[in-house]
Amino acid sequence: MTAQLAHPTRDTATDFVRLDRVTKIFAPEVPLTRRIAGLFGAEIDLRILRAVDAVDLTIARGEALGLVGESGCGKSTLGRVLAGIHRADEGTVEIDGAAVADRDGRKLTTRVQTVFQDPFASLDPRMRIGETIAEGPIAHGLVRRREAAATVADWLRRVGLDPAFAKSFPHQFSGGQRQRVAIARALAMKPDVIVCDEPVASLDVSIQAQIVNLFLKLRRDLGLTLLFISHDLGVVRHLCDRVAIMYLGRIVEVGPAAAIWRNPRHPYTRALLDSVPKLRLAGAPTPVIPISGELPSPLSPPKGCHFHPRCPIAVERCRTVRPPLVRTVDGRDVACHLADAPTPAPL
Amino acid sequence: MNPPVLSVRGLTTRFHNRAGAVTVVDGVSFDLARGEVIGLVGESGSGKSMTGFSLIGLIDAPGRIEAGSSVKLEGRELIGLPDRDLRHLRGRRISMVFQDPMMTLNPVLTIGEQMRLVLAAHGRIDRASARARSAEVLGRVGIPDPTARLDAYPHQFSGGMRQRVAIAIAILNRPAVIVADEPTTALDVSIQAQILAEMRRLVAEDGTAMIWISHDLATVSSIADRLCVMYAGRIVEHGPATEVLGAPRHPYTRGLLDSLPSQSEPGADLRQIPGATPSLAALPPGCPFEPRCGRADPVCTTRPEDVEAPPRGWRCHHPLGETAA
Repeated sequence: MTAQLAHPTRDTATDFVRLDRVTKIFAPEVPLTRRIAGLFGAEIDLRILRAVDAVDLTIARGEALGLVGESGCGKSTLGRVLAGIHRADEGTVEIDGAAVADRDGRKLTTRVQTVFQDPFASLDPRMRIGETIAEGPIAHGLVRRREAAATVADWLRRVGLDPAFAKSFPHQFSGGQRQRVAIARALAMKPDVIVCDEPVASLDVSIQAQIVNLFLKLRRDLGLTLLFISHDLGVVRHLCDRVAIMYLGRIVEVGPAAAIWRNPRHPYTRALLDSVPKLRLAGAPTPVIPISGELPSPLSPPKGCHFHPRCPIAVERCRTVRPPLVRTVDGRDVACHLADAPTPAPL
Repeated sequence: MNPPVLSVRGLTTRFHNRAGAVTVVDGVSFDLARGEVIGLVGESGSGKSMTGFSLIGLIDAPGRIEAGSSVKLEGRELIGLPDRDLRHLRGRRISMVFQDPMMTLNPVLTIGEQMRLVLAAHGRIDRASARARSAEVLGRVGIPDPTARLDAYPHQFSGGMRQRVAIAIAILNRPAVIVADEPTTALDVSIQAQILAEMRRLVAEDGTAMIWISHDLATVSSIADRLCVMYAGRIVEHGPATEVLGAPRHPYTRGLLDSLPSQSEPGADLRQIPGATPSLAALPPGCPFEPRCGRADPVCTTRPEDVEAPPRGWRCHHPLGETAA
């Protein structure tokens, strides 16, 4: 299936982070008795979940790439593969030419760190936050134990917290403050790349703005390379240079954020952007034409283009042939057989 | 204008504990007309969900709706009504849709059985008619093949479909008022768009009034006729949705709007409200927004009065002008 994928042209300057046909499969454990029965010819239900399906993706040094899509599209799994938390079943993940995990899936590098969605679950409730922040750098020999306090104070300051908080426990903090701690912990490892998995999704609007501003500041100060996973298209548009849109394990479109918002080329991207409620400052609500149907089960995705059953412009070829991700005339990668068909006028 | 279907006056809910009382809903008043959608917006702890729960009498000890509160549904006072009478109204004249549809659905009953129970609780109905009515309503909320789906259990539905079932149960007895508490927050944007469209159509067709509780200004603005903005248990501003969002009078509303990414150039710093929402147990004595407000001065340490300038109203000593930026 992967053989038919065309390789988008690669520019060596822009592929600091490089995912090459990365596939991640989740298969249910087949019980021993079923396996023995299988040896005697019984049929085994081998339903596998192709959470990430031959994904090619690059991120330039210092770039923020947004990864968006709906629940179950595989965006978090892809983030975890990049972070070395999950082993890729096929394909390679490299940062600056070095693999993030070895063949057995052991993480090889501290150059990529993760900030998770839920700052209530990601911090150890029994560790003082100073210990939480210093634990990784000490374990990896990045700082000496007696310098740890100074390092912690420095990172707390950089994420906008009072260094005196180092002695406090997570329960003494609000959600927004905890997320700052989680960011400080990731940064203290001096990573090249940070994978942020829905880091603002559980925060209130006014707190979300503070954390978005913190990411903007850290990008300016430290030149961070970010994979920013989110279902919040507004935040992604604001924070990211480029955006990749995922649907059922595959990237359907990737390109500069501004260009995608101006003129989405993949029908799914267009439908997704249209679904976002717009702030209504005058007049009647704008009628939204929602995408018809629901996300198909990722256990048995449709053949051909995964989106074809819900696509308003699908043709016969879409039902049988997987569209490759190809570079279109305006420098975007789109996986749609009809992407170069005349597009409707920009919204 | 017709008398409102729901009239709320001075609704105050407190939670009492050893340390004293915490006021979670503080003197909330509004009228809801037939077929109208009011959006109740605010951040966590603003009291918007507690207002919803108070309206349909879902406040348990140590919480208490205080004396002097009034909630009139179709002219009938709900506060102080015995549980039995209240139960007779809930699910029939006023119903609720929760953020998590599993708050409504029983995992061990089929959808059809649950819907039959809702119908049977409020009137004599035979199984065949209950089934027919349930299938009809499931069809209206956009569930394909409704008759067959009556025999399915909640776990056999996706999250979006479950929320549709919860909505179907809420509208089953044609209530006058639906209280919807963050009904689309847990759903993906494409499903949210579908449900928003369905809900708009349903309330328009039936003339049902709705209270839509949400933290998401954009979602609320796409469904609500009027908005009540809540902060620290109080309505700090209310009025027609487009007027409140287009020209807010309260600095908190302005702050909320400004902090949205859509209100800034991509990549530019978002304008943020300094500080965090105050603890309800330790509110400042005057305006609760005073410590975070750029317009605050000494007078703001006294409690601001309600200013009513129909169709709008606000609680602020220094409201923003019509043309304020």
